[in-house]
Amino acid sequence: MATTATFLAPTGFCIHGWSAKRKVGRGRRPCSIKSQQQQQQLEQERDQQPTQSQASIPPPQQQQPLQEKARVQQQQQPSAQPMAKSKNMSREYGGQWLSCCTRHVRIYAAYIDPVTHAFDQTQMDKLTLILDPSDEFVWTPGACQQVYAYFQELVDHYEGAPLSEYTLRLIGSDLEHYIRKLLYDGEIKYNMNARVLNFSMGHPRVKFNSSQIQNV
Amino acid sequence: MQQDRLSDWLVKHDLVHRSLGFDCRGIETLQIKTEDWDSIAVISYVYGYNYLRSQCAYDVAPSGFLASVYHLTRIQYGIAKPEEVCIKVFAPRNNPRIPSVFWIWRSADFQERESYDMLGISYDNHPRLKRILMPESWIGWPLRKDYITPNFYEIQDAH
Repeated sequence: MATTATFLAPTGFCIHGWSAKRKVGRGRRPCSIKSQQQQQQLEQERDQQPTQSQASIPPPQQQQPLQEKARVQQQQQPSAQPMAKSKNMSREYGGQWLSCCTRHVRIYAAYIDPVTHAFDQTQMDKLTLILDPSDEFVWTPGACQQVYAYFQELVDHYEGAPLSEYTLRLIGSDLEHYIRKLLYDGEIKYNMNARVLNFSMGHPRVKFNSSQIQNV
Repeated sequence: MQQDRLSDWLVKHDLVHRSLGFDCRGIETLQIKTEDWDSIAVISYVYGYNYLRSQCAYDVAPSGFLASVYHLTRIQYGIAKPEEVCIKVFAPRNNPRIPSVFWIWRSADFQERESYDMLGISYDNHPRLKRILMPESWIGWPLRKDYITPNFYEIQDAH
Protein backbone atom coordinates (compact mmCIF):
# COMPACT_ATOMS: atom_id res chain seq x y z
CA MET A 1 0.00 0.00 0.00
CA ALA A 2 1.39 3.32 -0.89
CA THR A 3 1.50 5.97 1.72
CA THR A 4 -0.17 8.78 -0.01
CA ALA A 5 -1.40 12.16 0.92
CA THR A 6 -4.47 13.41 -0.81
CA PHE A 7 -5.60 16.96 -1.06
CA LEU A 8 -8.84 18.29 -2.38
CA ALA A 9 -9.14 21.66 -3.93
CA PRO A 10 -12.40 23.25 -4.94
CA THR A 11 -12.04 24.78 -8.30
CA GLY A 12 -13.74 27.32 -10.45
CA PHE A 13 -12.96 25.62 -13.74
CA CYS A 14 -15.67 25.83 -16.30
CA ILE A 15 -16.30 22.56 -18.03
CA HIS A 16 -17.07 24.16 -21.32
CA GLY A 17 -15.19 22.38 -23.99
CA TRP A 18 -14.41 19.26 -22.01
CA SER A 19 -16.20 16.96 -24.35
CA ALA A 20 -18.30 17.45 -27.36
CA LYS A 21 -20.89 15.06 -26.03
CA ARG A 22 -21.75 16.94 -22.87
CA LYS A 23 -23.57 20.17 -22.76
CA VAL A 24 -21.77 23.28 -21.76
CA GLY A 25 -21.97 23.52 -18.06
CA ARG A 26 -20.62 25.61 -15.35
CA GLY A 27 -21.48 24.42 -11.94
CA ARG A 28 -19.89 23.87 -8.64
CA ARG A 29 -22.53 21.62 -7.22
CA PRO A 30 -22.40 18.01 -8.34
CA CYS A 31 -26.10 17.78 -9.01
CA SER A 32 -26.03 20.50 -11.59
CA ILE A 33 -23.30 18.75 -13.49
CA LYS A 34 -25.34 15.57 -13.45
CA SER A 35 -28.36 17.14 -14.99
CA GLN A 36 -26.32 18.38 -17.88
CA GLN A 37 -24.83 15.09 -18.92
CA GLN A 38 -27.13 13.81 -21.56
CA GLN A 39 -25.45 10.60 -22.43
CA GLN A 40 -25.22 8.93 -19.09
CA GLN A 41 -27.96 7.56 -16.97
CA LEU A 42 -26.76 8.34 -13.53
CA GLU A 43 -28.32 7.10 -10.43
CA GLN A 44 -30.30 9.65 -8.66
CA GLU A 45 -29.15 8.82 -5.20
CA ARG A 46 -26.91 11.43 -3.80
CA ASP A 47 -24.20 11.15 -1.25
CA GLN A 48 -25.21 11.76 2.27
CA GLN A 49 -24.39 15.03 3.82
CA PRO A 50 -20.74 15.01 4.76
CA THR A 51 -19.97 14.56 8.40
CA GLN A 52 -16.83 15.22 10.28
CA SER A 53 -16.29 11.63 11.30
CA GLN A 54 -12.89 10.10 11.10
CA ALA A 55 -12.06 6.85 9.39
CA SER A 56 -12.49 3.79 11.50
CA ILE A 57 -9.67 1.75 10.02
CA PRO A 58 -6.54 2.25 12.09
CA PRO A 59 -3.78 3.02 9.64
CA PRO A 60 -0.40 1.30 9.96
CA GLN A 61 2.33 3.10 11.80
CA GLN A 62 4.18 4.87 9.07
CA GLN A 63 1.04 5.98 7.34
CA GLN A 64 -0.29 7.79 10.30
CA PRO A 65 1.18 11.25 9.84
CA LEU A 66 0.05 11.48 6.26
CA GLN A 67 -3.41 10.15 6.85
CA GLU A 68 -4.01 12.54 9.65
CA LYS A 69 -2.80 15.31 7.55
CA ALA A 70 -5.23 14.39 4.84
CA ARG A 71 -8.06 14.39 7.32
CA VAL A 72 -6.97 17.72 8.69
CA GLN A 73 -6.98 19.07 5.21
CA GLN A 74 -10.46 17.94 4.59
CA GLN A 75 -11.78 19.78 7.54
CA GLN A 76 -10.61 22.96 5.98
CA GLN A 77 -12.01 22.36 2.53
CA PRO A 78 -14.96 20.46 1.01
CA SER A 79 -15.33 18.06 3.84
CA ALA A 80 -15.00 14.31 3.89
CA GLN A 81 -17.69 12.28 2.25
CA PRO A 82 -17.70 8.96 3.97
CA MET A 83 -20.56 7.68 1.87
CA ALA A 84 -18.90 8.42 -1.44
CA LYS A 85 -18.84 5.60 -3.91
CA SER A 86 -16.93 5.02 -7.09
CA LYS A 87 -18.94 6.45 -9.91
CA ASN A 88 -18.52 6.60 -13.63
CA MET A 89 -15.62 4.23 -13.68
CA SER A 90 -17.20 1.56 -15.75
CA ARG A 91 -17.07 0.75 -19.37
CA GLU A 92 -20.05 2.65 -20.64
CA TYR A 93 -18.46 5.85 -19.45
CA GLY A 94 -15.32 4.96 -21.31
CA GLY A 95 -13.44 4.26 -18.10
CA GLN A 96 -11.66 7.54 -18.67
CA TRP A 97 -10.93 10.31 -16.33
CA LEU A 98 -9.36 13.71 -16.54
CA SER A 99 -5.99 13.38 -14.98
CA CYS A 100 -2.41 14.35 -15.09
CA CYS A 101 0.04 11.80 -13.73
CA THR A 102 3.74 12.22 -13.36
CA ARG A 103 6.01 10.54 -10.95
CA HIS A 104 5.35 12.71 -7.93
CA VAL A 105 2.14 14.47 -8.72
CA ARG A 106 -1.16 12.93 -9.64
CA ILE A 107 -4.10 15.19 -10.20
CA TYR A 108 -7.54 13.84 -10.89
CA ALA A 109 -10.68 15.80 -11.64
CA ALA A 110 -12.74 13.69 -9.31
CA TYR A 111 -13.31 13.09 -5.65
CA ILE A 112 -11.14 10.37 -4.25
CA ASP A 113 -11.85 9.33 -0.74
CA PRO A 114 -8.57 9.09 1.16
CA VAL A 115 -9.66 6.09 3.17
CA THR A 116 -11.75 3.93 0.94
CA HIS A 117 -10.19 5.14 -2.34
CA ALA A 118 -13.61 5.48 -3.86
CA PHE A 119 -13.22 7.31 -7.13
CA ASP A 120 -16.22 9.47 -7.79
CA GLN A 121 -15.94 10.96 -11.21
CA THR A 122 -19.20 12.81 -11.22
CA GLN A 123 -17.82 15.41 -8.88
CA MET A 124 -15.82 17.17 -11.48
CA ASP A 125 -15.72 20.42 -9.64
CA LYS A 126 -13.01 19.07 -7.36
CA LEU A 127 -9.43 18.28 -8.08
CA THR A 128 -7.66 15.65 -6.05
CA LEU A 129 -3.92 15.73 -5.64
CA ILE A 130 -2.02 12.61 -4.69
CA LEU A 131 1.48 13.55 -3.73
CA ASP A 132 4.45 11.25 -4.29
CA PRO A 133 2.79 7.86 -4.20
CA SER A 134 6.10 6.12 -4.78
CA ASP A 135 7.76 7.89 -1.83
CA GLU A 136 10.79 9.11 -3.61
CA PHE A 137 11.23 11.88 -1.07
CA VAL A 138 10.97 12.14 2.67
CA TRP A 139 8.10 14.47 3.31
CA THR A 140 7.83 16.58 6.40
CA PRO A 141 4.45 18.04 7.30
CA GLY A 142 5.70 21.53 6.59
CA ALA A 143 6.81 20.62 3.09
CA CYS A 144 3.50 18.92 2.40
CA GLN A 145 1.66 22.01 3.50
CA GLN A 146 3.75 24.14 1.22
CA VAL A 147 2.93 21.94 -1.75
CA TYR A 148 -0.75 21.99 -0.91
CA ALA A 149 -0.76 25.74 -0.56
CA TYR A 150 0.99 26.10 -3.88
CA PHE A 151 -1.49 23.74 -5.45
CA GLN A 152 -4.37 25.85 -4.19
CA GLU A 153 -2.68 28.94 -5.51
CA LEU A 154 -2.22 27.36 -8.92
CA VAL A 155 -5.83 26.26 -9.05
CA ASP A 156 -6.94 29.76 -8.24
CA HIS A 157 -4.60 31.13 -10.83
CA TYR A 158 -6.00 28.84 -13.53
CA GLU A 159 -9.58 29.59 -12.64
CA GLY A 160 -11.70 30.09 -15.70
CA ALA A 161 -9.57 27.91 -17.92
CA PRO A 162 -11.29 25.01 -19.67
CA LEU A 163 -11.20 21.82 -17.62
CA SER A 164 -9.06 19.66 -19.86
CA GLU A 165 -6.06 17.43 -19.54
CA TYR A 166 -3.94 20.20 -21.00
CA THR A 167 -4.71 22.51 -18.09
CA LEU A 168 -4.19 19.72 -15.59
CA ARG A 169 -0.83 18.98 -17.14
CA LEU A 170 0.17 22.62 -16.84
CA ILE A 171 -0.75 22.54 -13.17
CA GLY A 172 1.05 19.24 -12.64
CA SER A 173 4.18 20.55 -14.33
CA ASP A 174 4.20 23.67 -12.22
CA LEU A 175 3.91 21.51 -9.12
CA GLU A 176 6.79 19.33 -10.22
CA HIS A 177 8.94 22.38 -10.76
CA TYR A 178 7.98 23.54 -7.30
CA ILE A 179 8.88 20.18 -5.77
CA ARG A 180 12.23 20.37 -7.49
CA LYS A 181 12.77 23.80 -6.03
CA LEU A 182 11.98 22.45 -2.57
CA LEU A 183 14.47 19.69 -3.13
CA TYR A 184 17.20 22.08 -4.16
CA ASP A 185 16.49 24.28 -1.19
CA GLY A 186 16.82 21.33 1.13
CA GLU A 187 13.29 21.21 2.48
CA ILE A 188 12.76 17.67 1.30
CA LYS A 189 15.33 15.04 0.58
CA TYR A 190 15.57 11.75 -1.21
CA ASN A 191 14.27 8.75 0.61
CA MET A 192 17.15 6.30 0.74
CA ASN A 193 14.84 3.43 1.62
CA ALA A 194 12.72 3.92 -1.44
CA ARG A 195 12.00 0.90 -3.52
CA VAL A 196 13.43 2.58 -6.60
CA LEU A 197 16.27 4.96 -5.99
CA ASN A 198 17.06 6.77 -9.17
CA PHE A 199 17.30 10.43 -8.13
CA SER A 200 14.87 11.57 -10.73
CA MET A 201 15.31 15.22 -9.91
CA GLY A 202 19.07 15.25 -10.14
CA HIS A 203 21.87 13.63 -8.22
CA PRO A 204 22.59 14.92 -4.75
CA ARG A 205 25.16 17.67 -4.86
CA VAL A 206 27.25 19.46 -2.32
CA LYS A 207 26.53 23.06 -1.40
CA PHE A 208 23.83 23.51 -3.96
CA ASN A 209 20.63 25.52 -3.84
CA SER A 210 18.10 26.72 -6.29
CA SER A 211 19.71 30.05 -6.94
CA GLN A 212 22.44 28.34 -8.89
CA ILE A 213 20.32 27.16 -11.77
CA GLN A 214 18.40 29.26 -14.20
CA ASN A 215 15.15 27.56 -14.88
CA VAL A 216 13.69 26.87 -11.50
CA MET B 1 11.79 15.13 -67.95
CA GLN B 2 8.20 16.13 -67.61
CA GLN B 3 6.94 18.87 -69.75
CA ASP B 4 4.77 21.60 -68.42
CA ARG B 5 1.83 19.56 -69.53
CA LEU B 6 -0.64 20.27 -66.85
CA SER B 7 0.35 23.89 -66.85
CA ASP B 8 -0.24 24.19 -70.58
CA TRP B 9 -3.49 22.39 -70.32
CA LEU B 10 -4.69 24.71 -67.62
CA VAL B 11 -3.63 27.73 -69.59
CA LYS B 12 -5.45 26.35 -72.57
CA HIS B 13 -8.55 26.11 -70.48
CA ASP B 14 -7.97 29.47 -69.02
CA LEU B 15 -7.67 28.56 -65.41
CA VAL B 16 -5.74 30.74 -63.09
CA HIS B 17 -2.66 29.25 -61.62
CA ARG B 18 0.95 30.08 -61.21
CA SER B 19 3.74 27.78 -62.11
CA LEU B 20 6.46 27.40 -59.57
CA GLY B 21 8.81 25.59 -61.85
CA PHE B 22 10.25 22.16 -61.34
CA ASP B 23 11.61 20.69 -58.18
CA CYS B 24 14.70 18.54 -57.92
CA ARG B 25 13.06 15.39 -59.18
CA GLY B 26 11.60 17.08 -62.20
CA ILE B 27 8.05 17.35 -60.94
CA GLU B 28 6.26 20.45 -61.98
CA THR B 29 4.88 22.55 -59.20
CA LEU B 30 1.90 24.80 -59.42
CA GLN B 31 0.44 27.28 -57.07
CA ILE B 32 -3.32 27.49 -56.88
CA LYS B 33 -5.40 30.03 -55.07
CA THR B 34 -7.59 28.88 -52.23
CA GLU B 35 -10.83 29.84 -53.87
CA ASP B 36 -9.96 28.04 -57.09
CA TRP B 37 -8.72 24.91 -55.42
CA ASP B 38 -12.10 23.24 -55.23
CA SER B 39 -12.67 23.33 -58.95
CA ILE B 40 -9.10 22.61 -59.93
CA ALA B 41 -9.02 19.54 -57.72
CA VAL B 42 -12.01 18.14 -59.54
CA ILE B 43 -10.49 19.11 -62.83
CA SER B 44 -7.25 17.31 -62.11
CA TYR B 45 -9.17 14.24 -61.12
CA VAL B 46 -11.00 14.38 -64.37
CA TYR B 47 -7.78 15.03 -66.24
CA GLY B 48 -6.55 11.73 -64.95
CA TYR B 49 -4.76 12.18 -61.67
CA ASN B 50 -6.48 9.51 -59.72
CA TYR B 51 -4.06 9.13 -56.84
CA LEU B 52 -3.19 11.66 -54.20
CA ARG B 53 0.24 10.44 -53.31
CA SER B 54 0.61 12.64 -50.30
CA GLN B 55 -0.73 15.76 -48.75
CA CYS B 56 1.46 17.72 -46.47
CA ALA B 57 1.61 21.20 -45.10
CA TYR B 58 4.25 23.55 -43.89
CA ASP B 59 4.66 26.98 -42.47
CA VAL B 60 6.22 29.32 -44.98
CA ALA B 61 7.41 32.14 -42.77
CA PRO B 62 6.75 33.27 -39.21
CA SER B 63 4.11 35.78 -40.16
CA GLY B 64 3.54 34.61 -43.70
CA PHE B 65 1.36 31.98 -45.21
CA LEU B 66 0.66 28.37 -44.43
CA ALA B 67 1.12 26.08 -47.40
CA SER B 68 -0.77 22.92 -48.09
CA VAL B 69 0.93 20.70 -50.64
CA TYR B 70 -0.64 17.98 -52.74
CA HIS B 71 1.27 15.43 -54.77
CA LEU B 72 -0.91 13.90 -57.45
CA THR B 73 -0.07 11.12 -59.83
CA ARG B 74 -1.85 8.99 -62.25
CA ILE B 75 -1.91 5.30 -61.46
CA GLN B 76 -2.33 3.22 -64.56
CA TYR B 77 -1.62 -0.26 -65.57
CA GLY B 78 1.56 -0.67 -67.53
CA ILE B 79 3.04 2.75 -67.12
CA ALA B 80 6.54 2.80 -65.73
CA LYS B 81 6.88 6.52 -65.08
CA PRO B 82 3.53 8.02 -64.23
CA GLU B 83 2.88 11.70 -64.60
CA GLU B 84 3.12 13.62 -61.38
CA VAL B 85 2.33 17.09 -60.33
CA CYS B 86 2.72 18.97 -57.12
CA ILE B 87 0.21 21.61 -56.18
CA LYS B 88 0.62 24.15 -53.42
CA VAL B 89 -2.19 26.11 -51.92
CA PHE B 90 -1.24 29.03 -49.72
CA ALA B 91 -3.58 30.01 -46.94
CA PRO B 92 -3.39 33.24 -44.94
CA ARG B 93 -2.34 32.83 -41.40
CA ASN B 94 -5.18 34.61 -39.69
CA ASN B 95 -7.89 32.50 -41.27
CA PRO B 96 -6.41 29.35 -42.78
CA ARG B 97 -9.27 27.58 -44.50
CA ILE B 98 -8.82 25.39 -47.53
CA PRO B 99 -11.43 23.23 -49.23
CA SER B 100 -10.93 19.59 -48.43
CA VAL B 101 -10.28 17.08 -51.17
CA PHE B 102 -11.50 14.18 -49.08
CA TRP B 103 -14.44 13.55 -51.33
CA ILE B 104 -12.20 13.28 -54.38
CA TRP B 105 -9.24 11.36 -53.02
CA ARG B 106 -9.89 9.35 -49.87
CA SER B 107 -6.26 9.24 -48.82
CA ALA B 108 -6.55 12.85 -47.77
CA ASP B 109 -8.50 11.85 -44.70
CA PHE B 110 -5.77 11.35 -42.14
CA GLN B 111 -3.32 13.57 -43.92
CA GLU B 112 -5.54 16.61 -43.74
CA ARG B 113 -6.23 15.83 -40.11
CA GLU B 114 -2.50 15.84 -39.49
CA SER B 115 -2.09 19.19 -41.25
CA TYR B 116 -4.92 20.53 -39.16
CA ASP B 117 -3.41 19.19 -35.98
CA MET B 118 0.07 20.48 -36.59
CA LEU B 119 -0.55 23.78 -38.33
CA GLY B 120 -4.14 24.70 -37.77
CA ILE B 121 -5.24 24.73 -41.40
CA SER B 122 -8.90 23.87 -41.28
CA TYR B 123 -10.29 21.98 -44.23
CA ASP B 124 -13.86 22.75 -45.19
CA ASN B 125 -16.08 19.76 -45.78
CA HIS B 126 -13.80 17.30 -44.12
CA PRO B 127 -16.14 14.91 -42.30
CA ARG B 128 -14.10 14.37 -39.17
CA LEU B 129 -11.54 17.07 -38.74
CA LYS B 130 -10.03 16.70 -35.31
CA ARG B 131 -6.64 16.21 -33.78
CA ILE B 132 -4.91 13.03 -34.71
CA LEU B 133 -1.41 13.16 -33.25
CA MET B 134 -1.66 15.46 -30.26
CA PRO B 135 -4.03 14.78 -27.38
CA GLU B 136 -7.46 16.12 -28.09
CA SER B 137 -7.36 18.87 -25.56
CA TRP B 138 -4.08 20.33 -26.80
CA ILE B 139 -3.97 24.05 -27.33
CA GLY B 140 -1.81 25.47 -30.06
CA TRP B 141 -0.41 24.33 -33.39
CA PRO B 142 2.88 22.60 -32.78
CA LEU B 143 4.58 22.86 -36.15
CA ARG B 144 4.02 26.51 -36.69
CA LYS B 145 7.17 28.52 -36.63
CA ASP B 146 5.89 30.73 -33.85
CA TYR B 147 4.80 27.93 -31.54
CA ILE B 148 6.33 27.86 -28.11
CA THR B 149 6.33 24.56 -26.26
CA PRO B 150 4.78 24.96 -22.83
CA ASN B 151 7.11 24.19 -20.01
CA PHE B 152 5.84 20.72 -19.22
CA TYR B 153 7.97 18.96 -16.67
CA GLU B 154 7.85 15.58 -18.29
CA ILE B 155 8.99 16.82 -21.64
CA GLN B 156 12.02 18.67 -20.47
CA ASP B 157 13.24 17.40 -17.19
CA ALA B 158 12.02 14.05 -16.07
CA HIS B 159 14.57 11.29 -15.96
